[in-house]
Amino acid sequence: MAPLSNEQVRALGYAVNLNIEEPDLTEVTHSINAILDSMAAINLPETNLVEPIPILLSGMED
Amino acid sequence: MLPEEIPLLSVVELANYIEKKEITPLETVRAYLSRIEKFDPKLNSYITVLADQAEQDAEIAGQEISNGNYRGPLHGVPVAVKDQIHSEGIRTTDASQIRTDFIPNEDATVLANLKAAGAILLGKLNMSEFALGDPISSAFGPAHNPWDLNRSPGTSSTGSGAATAGFLCATSLGEDTGGSIRGPAANCGLVGLRPTWGRVSRYGVDGACWSIDTIGPISRTVADCAITIGAIAGFDPKDKYTRQISVPDYYAGLTKDITGMKIGIVKELMDTNTMGTDPVVIAAINAALEVFAGLGAEIQEISLPLTKHTGAVVRTITHTERVSLHPEWLRERPQEFHHNTRVAFMAANLIPAQVYYKAQKLRAVVRDQVLNAFKEVDLLIQPTSSGPANLMNLEPGVRSLEQAKKALVEGGFRGLYSLSGAPALSIPCGFTSESGTDLPLAMQIAGRHFEEATVLRAAYAYEQATTWHNRHPSIE
Repeated sequence: MAPLSNEQVRALGYAVNLNIEEPDLTEVTHSINAILDSMAAINLPETNLVEPIPILLSGMED
Repeated sequence: MLPEEIPLLSVVELANYIEKKEITPLETVRAYLSRIEKFDPKLNSYITVLADQAEQDAEIAGQEISNGNYRGPLHGVPVAVKDQIHSEGIRTTDASQIRTDFIPNEDATVLANLKAAGAILLGKLNMSEFALGDPISSAFGPAHNPWDLNRSPGTSSTGSGAATAGFLCATSLGEDTGGSIRGPAANCGLVGLRPTWGRVSRYGVDGACWSIDTIGPISRTVADCAITIGAIAGFDPKDKYTRQISVPDYYAGLTKDITGMKIGIVKELMDTNTMGTDPVVIAAINAALEVFAGLGAEIQEISLPLTKHTGAVVRTITHTERVSLHPEWLRERPQEFHHNTRVAFMAANLIPAQVYYKAQKLRAVVRDQVLNAFKEVDLLIQPTSSGPANLMNLEPGVRSLEQAKKALVEGGFRGLYSLSGAPALSIPCGFTSESGTDLPLAMQIAGRHFEEATVLRAAYAYEQATTWHNRHPSIE
């Protein structure tokens, strides 16, 4: 996926009621692109079967 | 003993003197306050110093001990806690302009437990704003690393690292979400323990991410760390996720015997090309493995393939959840955040739900991989960081996409245990010299869930077989 542009990030900000302008905008763009790129790089097909339980429930460690 | 020598004692040594009534708690507190007055203008490790209250509490502790009511090794010992931990009647700021007027009406359970053990609260320690990002984000200015005032003390428990290494408190508490106990411990040459999630109450601690946050000690020695965690661990009815599992006497369990213990080295983090691990760190870890082998442990290589991605997964989960706690602050008071915090929070608001959900699934996969590793070995060892403490960049800002990605990779050094919830301890394992300054290097020792005692025992055996813990910074 191509990195988000500043304009796209500004539009996403509007969608969540945030007014993102410089001097923040370019840095927010770098930050969100870093997260999206890094997460997209992780490809594990078997995660479709994973139940995303956030904590270790009692007995899971056995 | 000269008063200025008292802060240089370990908790174990100080407790011995106090129990024998050879040093009083009041003498101890005054010695620490004098040292804070002298050195904290350089370290900036405290946000709030409680001089009068600490002296009053020390007098009471002294009277109790004189009357034969000695409570144990923290009685009369001066401690300090990260300013994320609520303190009754004392402001708790999260190092943020937004929280400078917040005064809790109740102590966090961990602080109440320290006080019940007889500890004296010296003050509240500096941190990164809302426990995220670089030291410069603190509304009170950055804390400085005692080994080199120009370098980062590690984030986000910046003051806990700086004050403990600078002998401005006997032991301290930090809070670790993505590595905020282990990072400062590594940068400052200290022992920091992220306990098992559910071992220590989070009640009364301002949260970053409910399912990852932990509170634990940052101390100068393994024994001091064991004493401190022993005082705060255990079930708390105010935190329903603390487990009703008995808390062993961690200090009593510090034998040097690790014969037959199986230790796995996480191979993905011993890689300069993929993770950027400094060769001096790799050499230090390899030397540490030889020490463990010499002590009778069995060493084997372990592969945890998702390790390099854990920084991004932790960031995705923790930042999404952190900004969800008080979304109105970012919308209504954005200019009251430090620039770096505001940028991070804004970016976190834009993370798509499907990416967050993917991160939660990956967390479960990472946890399974860690649990499976612990079927083969008793402990996992790896570097705490890619290298020694960095020079602090005092200019705020995310300069490039590459810089932002690099920060996510660095988070991968501590992500395995943030995601799995297993206990992990950082301990010095060597030194390197940069620009004529000696800087500590560190490794993590991680264990099975709720087996902090095993982690501490191995750390103690290593510490006693080496001399790194005898080296201290000179602040002058």
